[in-house]
Amino acid sequence: MIRAENVRVNFRTGFMRRQIQALRGLTLEVREGDFLALVGQNGAGKSTAMYCFLGLLKPTSGKIEVLGSVPDLGRPVCRKIAYLPEEPHYHLYLTVEEATRYYASLYGRRVSDKAIHDTLERLGLAPFRDLRLSKCSKGMKQKVGIAQCLIHETQLLFLDEPTRGLDPLAVRSFRETLREIHQRGATIIMNSHVLSEIEMLANRVAIIDSGRVVAQDDLRNFLTADREQYCVTFESNGSVPDYLTSLERHGNLVKGVIPKEKLYDFMELTRNGALPLHECSLKKTSLEDKFFRIVSAGHEPEAAEPVSQSR
Amino acid sequence: MAELWRANIAAHLAFYRRSRLLLAFLILFAVLTALEFVPQLFVSSGVQNFNTLREIFSTLNFFLKLFAAGLGLFIVSAHLRNRSLKMVFTKPCPPAVWLGSAFVSALIVAFLLNAMVLSGLAVLSLLWHIPVRSGLLFISADTFVASIGIAAYLMVLATLLHPALAAIVAIVFNADMFYEGFVWARSSIRAGNHSPGLRVLESVFHFLYLAAPIIHPFEKKTENIYSSLRVMHGEWNYLLYSLGYALALSAFCYFIALAFLQRRRHI
Repeated sequence: MIRAENVRVNFRTGFMRRQIQALRGLTLEVREGDFLALVGQNGAGKSTAMYCFLGLLKPTSGKIEVLGSVPDLGRPVCRKIAYLPEEPHYHLYLTVEEATRYYASLYGRRVSDKAIHDTLERLGLAPFRDLRLSKCSKGMKQKVGIAQCLIHETQLLFLDEPTRGLDPLAVRSFRETLREIHQRGATIIMNSHVLSEIEMLANRVAIIDSGRVVAQDDLRNFLTADREQYCVTFESNGSVPDYLTSLERHGNLVKGVIPKEKLYDFMELTRNGALPLHECSLKKTSLEDKFFRIVSAGHEPEAAEPVSQSR
Repeated sequence: MAELWRANIAAHLAFYRRSRLLLAFLILFAVLTALEFVPQLFVSSGVQNFNTLREIFSTLNFFLKLFAAGLGLFIVSAHLRNRSLKMVFTKPCPPAVWLGSAFVSALIVAFLLNAMVLSGLAVLSLLWHIPVRSGLLFISADTFVASIGIAAYLMVLATLLHPALAAIVAIVFNADMFYEGFVWARSSIRAGNHSPGLRVLESVFHFLYLAAPIIHPFEKKTENIYSSLRVMHGEWNYLLYSLGYALALSAFCYFIALAFLQRRRHI
């Protein structure tokens, strides 16, 4: 559905035309039906990558194919695409209803009043239908953006920080809507800093750092890659085994992580030494842990490999 | 495709209707015209009334041309500056349609304003018992034709430059200025200054004069109409020639603006 190969994007900014490398060889593949989350620090290149997929930005080098063609402005294949921008750069002089109708009409077909009404109703925008976007709060503008994504049944959705500015109820409702759209068969690409949200929604994750994809895999592989380890807490008699890592000591209380293959040895050690064992549990990894580990590990080439082979 | 044009034109017309900047310009022009002419409305003499009518018409038409420039400039620069075009171009609406519809919308507004001014002046003419002359229609149509070229030219500048710079370029670098430069350089050469730099300057000014858009390409041929408000047989043709020039200029400007619009980063 989307294939990006070694994409580089360079900008020149400022009076001295200083060059900034926004993407430095980004390679990514999105399969049909994926719910891919692009994760990375600010300025990592997530939005730039999305702009390239949408044709808003031409790569300096590299190849991009979206739905079988090279992305460009306003091309017919955009009929299958919906996009929710990060910043509410909408037509602020239009009212909520006019904007929703306008964006829906840009797909080249007239939208019925009922469809507009239902969408506004569903997002809680109906009471504000005559309010100009310039007078709307950020959250309401975001809902207008969501409305224009939902009004047509598109195959490919690009969402750039979609829940930014939304109230908790709207976030929950939006999540449900995204799940429905994904179950319907749509492919979704979402930029987000809310890693807990990604864990709830996405089925694939790509971590971008300094303009490159440093890790990409199925979410479950990200979350289970470290499940071969155990967290233990016990009272030590002074010495600790060398396979115990991530050590934390509080007096004679020791916390650490042991690999699965050393579990039997560790149990023997505690039993033979009569060391009180307070905890021994399968280690749970969150996407946040994984993200921090990968990003703080630097940009070693091997990090760009999948966390585990899932295809 | 028809739906795309309809939706875009409706949105652009909403922009014009709600633009406070354009409204401010409209009010300013109305106030300036009123300040200049209200005292003269109370003078009742046939000749005086005719002259007043002609001057009001001329002033309003000048403002209409300025306003047309604003229509072309603001529609493009406002959308580029608030970066809302990414919402349009990520849908199956190509830049060609958006730009074309912006141009058509500007012409619709310019046409309506021209029609309002013409109707107002026709009513005033009737109130003062001055026969409504065909010159009013000619000048109004000529102003509208000029507005076509002006709006298109300002659209190109708006895609390239900051709106303030675009306005300065449009005001300063025009055909009249280059023509004056050309006449000055030629007179200096004829007066005996044979420096090579001056000859180069003469050629440059001549080229720029030929290349720069002209608001009224047949100004000399139609100046009698502007003074007498009468149109002689055959003079209507100049309107057609002007229209041809304005359309050619607009087409040229459209393609240049489109090329720049497609090259811009809409992010």
